[in-house]
Amino acid sequence: MTATATRPPDAAPPATGGKRARKRERQGAAWVFLSPWVIGATVLTLLPMAVSLYLSFTDYNMFDAPRWIGFRNYTQMFTEDPRYWRSVTTTLTYVVIAVPLQLALALAVAIALKSVKRGKGFYRSAFYAPSLLGASMSIALVWRAIFNDGGSVDNLLSGMGIDIGGWINKPGWAILSVALLTIWQFGAPMVIFLAGLQQIPAELYEAAAVDGASWWRQFRSITIPMLSPVLFFNLVLQMIQAFQVFTPAFAVSAGKGGPADSTLVYTLYLYDRGFTASHMGYASAMAWVLLLAIGLVTAVLFRTSRAWVFYANDTNEGGR
Amino acid sequence: MRGNGTRTSLALALVLTLGGTLTGCGGDGGGGSGGKVSLRFTWWGNPDRAARTDKAVELFEQRHPDIDIATSFAGFDTYKAKLATQAAGGDAPDVMQLDYRQINQYATSGILLDLGEHPQLRTSEIDKGLLATGVVDGKQYALPVARGTETVVYDAALWRKAGVPEPTLTWTWDDWADAMRRLSASKATRGRVGSTDLGQSEDVFEIWLRSRGKALYTKDEKLGFTADDLTRYWEWCTKLRKEGAVVPAEQTTQMDGTVENTPLGRLKSVSDFNWDAPSSGFAPIVGEGLKLAPMPVGEDGTPGQYFKPSMFFGASAKTAHPKQAAQFIDFLLNDKEAGAILGATRGIPANDAMRQDVLPKLEGFDQVVSTYQKQFEGKLKDPPPAPPKGDASLQSTFSRDYDQVSYERMSPREAAENYITEAKAELRR
Repeated sequence: MTATATRPPDAAPPATGGKRARKRERQGAAWVFLSPWVIGATVLTLLPMAVSLYLSFTDYNMFDAPRWIGFRNYTQMFTEDPRYWRSVTTTLTYVVIAVPLQLALALAVAIALKSVKRGKGFYRSAFYAPSLLGASMSIALVWRAIFNDGGSVDNLLSGMGIDIGGWINKPGWAILSVALLTIWQFGAPMVIFLAGLQQIPAELYEAAAVDGASWWRQFRSITIPMLSPVLFFNLVLQMIQAFQVFTPAFAVSAGKGGPADSTLVYTLYLYDRGFTASHMGYASAMAWVLLLAIGLVTAVLFRTSRAWVFYANDTNEGGR
Repeated sequence: MRGNGTRTSLALALVLTLGGTLTGCGGDGGGGSGGKVSLRFTWWGNPDRAARTDKAVELFEQRHPDIDIATSFAGFDTYKAKLATQAAGGDAPDVMQLDYRQINQYATSGILLDLGEHPQLRTSEIDKGLLATGVVDGKQYALPVARGTETVVYDAALWRKAGVPEPTLTWTWDDWADAMRRLSASKATRGRVGSTDLGQSEDVFEIWLRSRGKALYTKDEKLGFTADDLTRYWEWCTKLRKEGAVVPAEQTTQMDGTVENTPLGRLKSVSDFNWDAPSSGFAPIVGEGLKLAPMPVGEDGTPGQYFKPSMFFGASAKTAHPKQAAQFIDFLLNDKEAGAILGATRGIPANDAMRQDVLPKLEGFDQVVSTYQKQFEGKLKDPPPAPPKGDASLQSTFSRDYDQVSYERMSPREAAENYITEAKAELRR
């Protein structure tokens, strides 16, 4: 596991003469084996992306031929569409609520599970299960029923004297029910956290315990720094996913982003523009702005990560 | 040993690949050379319509063992979006149910087959006036299935218990509003509210407009009303909502085009607005007492409701089997047995013979719809011309803007101005 033990596999001595020919042959074989993926990526990803970039500069209603209108979709989006900005605000609210809470929950459960001795497999699977089910439409529909007026959450809360009514029909509460659906699916980051926790050398904790460090102190000074690369990885991954949230918002609001546009997240508005209003050009432009925005946020995260992500290996490397 | 293993797995892979090819071929053979023709048929509607349509399809398949029909249906909102995507992708179903608002766009974009060229499809018995509504640029791209009209659908048992006077053919919007207030106030309705909030429905707004001598669209495809008209309508709805005569925003926002998610369908109101035929979906929920009342008329007695071609059948221009598709549409529209099965589930049939011979023998809700339409014979004004291109998304814009009003995020005036701006932009496209 130490950085000095392994040598990068591609650092082989430079190929000469006959070896070069063999290498070319091997590369040919590699391309043959890669071809299903290469063809798939080109036809199903790159080509549609290029088309969507073109469409984003057109007025296209899916029936008549696209009409070139330059940057008008983009200017309309930024200057004339209050609903667009509402969807941006809604998405940001969602990301800010869902991502930190989901990661905190995943970390908490991972830490708790680390010290579980018996039935480890069972608990791990049990906590992971929502992530397997959660992405499906059916669970989102169940969610809708649970948080509707007269649903179990409503009944439970009114039983305790808290009368909110159906969450999904109250602007302000509806986005929370969508966020909860995401938070509940903390399985994937949890598993990654667990793996990360097991990588932390036990000696560190033992040494800290000898020095009389409290649990909290150990958590802050050992767990968090040692786990920071994993934390960073999870943060980037979950944030990218959160910006693209669609299914829960779609299901909870029956595809409309209601009540009063309060669950109209970015991709749902994109869908609305594209498929309900048949403004495919506008929808494509929205998709490209989203791509750039996510790229930007990710880049910013990477920039700031230098200040707080601690790579244990780096220090080894530096000492060499 | 190792070489052997590789050879075995290679052989296995080869067999698997060949197997795949074979099954692929088999599938194709079934569609083409095997002699069995397969058609896709899609529609929107409620479970009642689905059950009857499937029964009619079965009958057709029995009579034509060489034709296989795959059906699928959805609620209107979902159907609309899905069909548009399929059509744009060149994958429209062979036979499809179409809305008045879709025909213009679909016909001019080359998605629909010119059904006039297929003699298998007889149109002699179809009502001439309705038949013309399926013509675009002189070609019969779609055939009207039935005609429908809007209605106030209500639970008559509760209504009577509350002691509110029954609706009449000439009740005005004020009479209607009074009835809703009394229904909400009555103890007999047990907390149920008078009506659905009519502010979210562009269909009801149109009828309200017409009863005041205006229209949604002018003849030259412009908006037929102003922000003032819409503001007045939404202010009136807001007043009714605040008085509790119609349901609160939390109920309205759940409506998605299916009967089950309307306030009446969820047993939160006593009445609702809907088209007459789809109101059959309320029957299993509301029970025996379900009745249809005319739409309220203007203060001077002007009726706003009208007979509209409720839906059309069309075939895809790309279908591999245009003859069979025409044959199937002919069966749905003209066959007496099919007519007896389908009844009034899509509205009162556009086929004159069907209306005269088959319909009187029908029972249950079909009879209710038939009687309901009969009382308007000769009393309603002409229907408006087909809605202009670009109007397709305005229905959802309308209810979305009203959502902002009912949740008190915008004033009726602000929302109305919003709607007018967006509508003008859409119609210009």
